[in-house]
Amino acid sequence: MFTEVLVALAIGGLIFFLVQKSRTPVLKTEDGWWGAGAPPDGVEDISIRPFKVTTSDEELEDLNRRIDQTRPTPSLEDSQFNYGFNSQYLQEVVSYWRNDFDWRRQVDKLNRYSHFKTNIEGIDVHYLHVKPRNVPEGSTAVPLIMVHGWPGSFYEFYGLIPLLTEPSDPQDLVFEVVCPSIPGYGFSEAPHKKGFDSVCAARIFHKLMKRLGFHKFYAHGGDWGWLVTTNMAQLQPGVVKGLHVNFAPNSRPGLSMVLSVMLGRRFPKMFGFTDFDVRRLFPCVDKLVVEAVKETGYMHIQATKPDTAGRGLNDSPVGLAAYILEKFSTWTSPDFRNLEDGGLTRKFSLDDLLTNVMIYWTSGCIVSSMRFYKENFGRGLNQPHSRPPIPVNACRGARTHPSAHRTLDVKTNE
Amino acid sequence: MQRLQVLKGAFCGLDPIQQQLVIGSAVAAGGILIHLLYKRRQVKSIPLGEGWWGAGQKPLSEDEQIHPFEVQTTDEEIEDLHERIDRTRYTESLEDGCFHYGFNSTYLKKVVSYWRHKFDWKKQVAALNKYPHFKTKIEGLDVHYVHVRPPRRENQTVVPLMLVHGWPGSFYEFYKILPLLTENRDGLAFEVICPSIPGYGFSDAPRKQGFDSLAAARVFLTLMERLGFSQFYLQGGDWGSLITTNMSQMKPMCVKGLHLNMIKVRMGFSVMFSLMIGSYLPFLVGFSREDVRRLFPFFEKNVYGILRETGYFHIQATKPDTAGCGGNDSPVGLAAYILEKFSTWTDNSNRALADGGLERKFSLDDVLTNVMIYWTTGSIVSSMRFYKENFKSNPDNRVDAKVGITVPTGLAAFPAELMHCPKSWARHRALWGGRGSPPLSAARGAPC
Repeated sequence: MFTEVLVALAIGGLIFFLVQKSRTPVLKTEDGWWGAGAPPDGVEDISIRPFKVTTSDEELEDLNRRIDQTRPTPSLEDSQFNYGFNSQYLQEVVSYWRNDFDWRRQVDKLNRYSHFKTNIEGIDVHYLHVKPRNVPEGSTAVPLIMVHGWPGSFYEFYGLIPLLTEPSDPQDLVFEVVCPSIPGYGFSEAPHKKGFDSVCAARIFHKLMKRLGFHKFYAHGGDWGWLVTTNMAQLQPGVVKGLHVNFAPNSRPGLSMVLSVMLGRRFPKMFGFTDFDVRRLFPCVDKLVVEAVKETGYMHIQATKPDTAGRGLNDSPVGLAAYILEKFSTWTSPDFRNLEDGGLTRKFSLDDLLTNVMIYWTSGCIVSSMRFYKENFGRGLNQPHSRPPIPVNACRGARTHPSAHRTLDVKTNE
Repeated sequence: MQRLQVLKGAFCGLDPIQQQLVIGSAVAAGGILIHLLYKRRQVKSIPLGEGWWGAGQKPLSEDEQIHPFEVQTTDEEIEDLHERIDRTRYTESLEDGCFHYGFNSTYLKKVVSYWRHKFDWKKQVAALNKYPHFKTKIEGLDVHYVHVRPPRRENQTVVPLMLVHGWPGSFYEFYKILPLLTENRDGLAFEVICPSIPGYGFSDAPRKQGFDSLAAARVFLTLMERLGFSQFYLQGGDWGSLITTNMSQMKPMCVKGLHLNMIKVRMGFSVMFSLMIGSYLPFLVGFSREDVRRLFPFFEKNVYGILRETGYFHIQATKPDTAGCGGNDSPVGLAAYILEKFSTWTDNSNRALADGGLERKFSLDDVLTNVMIYWTTGSIVSSMRFYKENFKSNPDNRVDAKVGITVPTGLAAFPAELMHCPKSWARHRALWGGRGSPPLSAARGAPC
């Protein structure tokens, strides 16, 4: 009798333990209100309004006048891009901007795809919605949300969208793409209240996708987009069918990561490192620590004093361009710091780079874009939503980012 | 006496070889002791080095004349400023943001309105010119300074004193104290020199890389020599603290006394140890009750607090050309950047105020004059570069970190200083790496 009870308890305990373990912990969140003042009574406006990017002569004249009145400071001799954006090369970029860059033509290019705005939690959220023209018979387009980072925008995906929505190979998957602007960035309204972090952005984007009629979809994100889409998967794992990220820093170094850093150079196979991994990660202190310190000044000031940091940049288009384009140079490759021109046009065209800058300039969103750092880091890095152990119920693949190589904890729950 | 007999007996009891060993060891020990005592007497200094900071190649000779200088302005300069102010594109602050996100937008508009409509730059320029200014070329740079002599009196001792500013300050910060220093008190008056660090205000900015505090110290030593002072006193805060310390390490024989507000200590073993037990047994590690109040809880006050306030430091020490670019086109951007420091660094709790408590301690005329010095000279980028030049390599490994301060030093430890330095740490900074114990006094300064 006694033995049976004991066995029953043991089996019961085991079952209970296994059930608990298999229950996927889900990130929790509550609705917010980000508009000015108190939320109004009555029904929420859930209409979707078409939006067109526009410009005017006044806007262009104002820009040109400000460019003409820039007060440049000559760079130190032989400093290239080691002190930041080189003054000499900045003059060349600005000259192109002033004389050759055609903003009206770029606006037409932006309007090539359909833009919309819709009000969620009190703020107007802007997004691009690209439906594929030809969907092969018998299949449906795969819904995909793509989220940008800082100092990027929805425009960074323009090169990819044709490949996703009109693949040349008829056997390829066809996607229906939604590219929103994170609130506070570009044409999305900036939150008026404190506390708008990546979980809030994730929740808002879930509402957006639901409003558009998508109940299951895939997500892609890089930089802040990585965290926002990861949060989306953590909030509603049943809804996010798959997640693809580029740039995914491991925010909680556990024992295995520490060991891999200590021993990975000697025993790469033991930790799953490829030759490429070893080359990018070691010598560790130099490549991970020193490089991080050299390149994260912007993060430090934006995570503490965003209103101060962005203030001057909203009046000075050249200052804004230098601030943003320095990242497009150095984050493409840290070796570009030793080039007179920062290697900027090796991978990008000035037209594309300046279009991205113009999105920040014309919307005046640099300060609100910087606030996202404070909202996410202001309470420290050890927040529940940035701790990977909440397993993402999806296959997580990652493309390595040239300037931030990370080993990845790929957790698959399928 | 008896002990001596015992020792003598023991010595005689040894055999000759052992006796020789004992004598030899005694002589060796004595020699080492004398050598140590001799070295202790010698004051260690750091090498002067040399440099050239102008554009292009160094010419064969340099103009060593001293030229009088006057701060000037024009109608065009003021109109340009007003036009830029009028074109400012404000971003609304978050509701209840106060100064936690940086300079609050609502209050900034008030400051800017005063700047645009009430602030009289011509009047301030006249105020700046109340004291005589000069410029002289040193190592390829035109170095600007204010030189104030006390009025002639009988039986008066005149003591030369150099005051060095920091960032984002200027020589103008010393204007209120100049009358107090140059007036005769009990037969003593100071003759004051207030230079601008190269790259700041009216001093030329270096065109070559590497202009750090050691270079600035050497330039200022050359300046004092050119002015005919062989011995003088020094005062410095912020960057001025490091520069004047370097000056006293380079030529300790010339510096009769050093006064600092703000001193940086190395996080060595004794400092870490005192932090570990200081809140429990302060008397054991030389902490006063005031020290304990200002230092602990350590993580909150010294780690998180510092992290919250050093974003500017991090970006300026890595990407100064990028960080300062916008500030040189936008006067309002520049003002917000600089004045945020005057708010938060006066007292951290000012962050919780809608107006940052700026006008509790300063007049808008004074703080805006300081901003105008950066604006009219366009020196914000070069002022930021000084951070990168000093932090290119680990400062703890630099030559000046390994040599102590051997001149008499005073430290003013203000109550809301960014990072508190107890007297025991400061004394250790002076002793470590050096020889002898210079008199060190830490004045508990009243908030100014």
